[in-house]
Amino acid sequence: MTASRFVLVAAACLACVCAAAPAAARKSHAVPSLDPIGTWNCVVYGHPAFGDERLLLSVLADRSTKVARLLDGEISAWVPLTHWEIEDATLTFTDSRSGRDYHADLTRTTLGGSWRTPTLLGGWWCSPTDFVAAPTVEQAKPETLMPPLLPWLTATPVYPIKAIRDAKQGRAVSCFFVDSEGYVVQPEFVELSDEIFRTPILNALARSRYEAWPDERMLRPGCRSFIFRLDPLTGDASTAQ
Amino acid sequence: MARTQLIGLALGFVASAAAAQVQDRAQSRMVLGGNEFLAAGAEEIRVGQYDEGIRLTTLGLMQAPTTAERAAALSNICAAYAAKGDPDKAIDYCTQSITIWEGNWRAYSNRSYAFYLKGLYKKAHEDLEIAASINPEARQIAKIRGMINERSLQPSVIMEDHR
Repeated sequence: MTASRFVLVAAACLACVCAAAPAAARKSHAVPSLDPIGTWNCVVYGHPAFGDERLLLSVLADRSTKVARLLDGEISAWVPLTHWEIEDATLTFTDSRSGRDYHADLTRTTLGGSWRTPTLLGGWWCSPTDFVAAPTVEQAKPETLMPPLLPWLTATPVYPIKAIRDAKQGRAVSCFFVDSEGYVVQPEFVELSDEIFRTPILNALARSRYEAWPDERMLRPGCRSFIFRLDPLTGDASTAQ
Repeated sequence: MARTQLIGLALGFVASAAAAQVQDRAQSRMVLGGNEFLAAGAEEIRVGQYDEGIRLTTLGLMQAPTTAERAAALSNICAAYAAKGDPDKAIDYCTQSITIWEGNWRAYSNRSYAFYLKGLYKKAHEDLEIAASINPEARQIAKIRGMINERSLQPSVIMEDHR
């Protein structure tokens, strides 16, 4: 009687586990919401030697990728990168010349993510463009395709008083688009060490402006990193005693 | 702002005095006399009548039979002087309280506030750490810690554009 009851309970538990497991597995797999196919206007940041780079990235349906850089006011020749792959809503490809492995989270609203080499880590962020990748050096007007993104007003976030009281420091990177009037639109966080810094950063971005440009259709990608620091004041009378 | 902090701290004193009193009452139902002064003194301090509170507590202190009562009384006098804005006297009473009872977290907490008033943030922080190690749950400690951090930490935001 006891043994048969135990078997029944065990069977019921097993059935529950079997039913729950696929559901849990489905939950863990993110579903891509962004189609990466197309040409993208990107900013790549975080390399200590190269600084910020602006480039055009072409992601093709045949799984190839290529990139063109904006150098000295001209768009360079398109250079092939490795084939792209998508797994768990993450797009990956590699630039074998620079050794960078690129990762993009396709659950975001635009293409962007992180890049890494064995020793370095950075980020990239793109806005879509209708520019068509050509195999040779492009004679299109680079200044209209990629006008320089020049800050006109950079607002500093307020350090939240609660964060000071709790002695919280932090770091954040927000990427966004800039419209033709210089306003920051669609900001997203690619890194945020503590939620307490989210609102001050969004408020500061909303107050910030870039110089405008004439093409109203174009959105330019940009990113801004923030480090929230607390340093001991030197005026503590304890230390003077 | 300063007034708000003072009122906030005074509320902390209420907890301090009342808690000490309850504890003492529980231990001293058959003890005569002195605790009435301590209770009345704690109440005066609670309502912001610091001079009267100090007077009554001092009377009670002279008749306080137990170490815990004396330590609580000294700590309450310390709190009253700190609330009056006399940190030097406050520190003196809190130190006496700690000397006779090392486990008195309220005395460390009150002395921390007195050090804070004097701008001795490092010492204030040290006392607060001791108080927190004895009673990590005390809200009063978190409040004083926040006040010390407000005064002793310089915030800055470093930004870098990637474009």
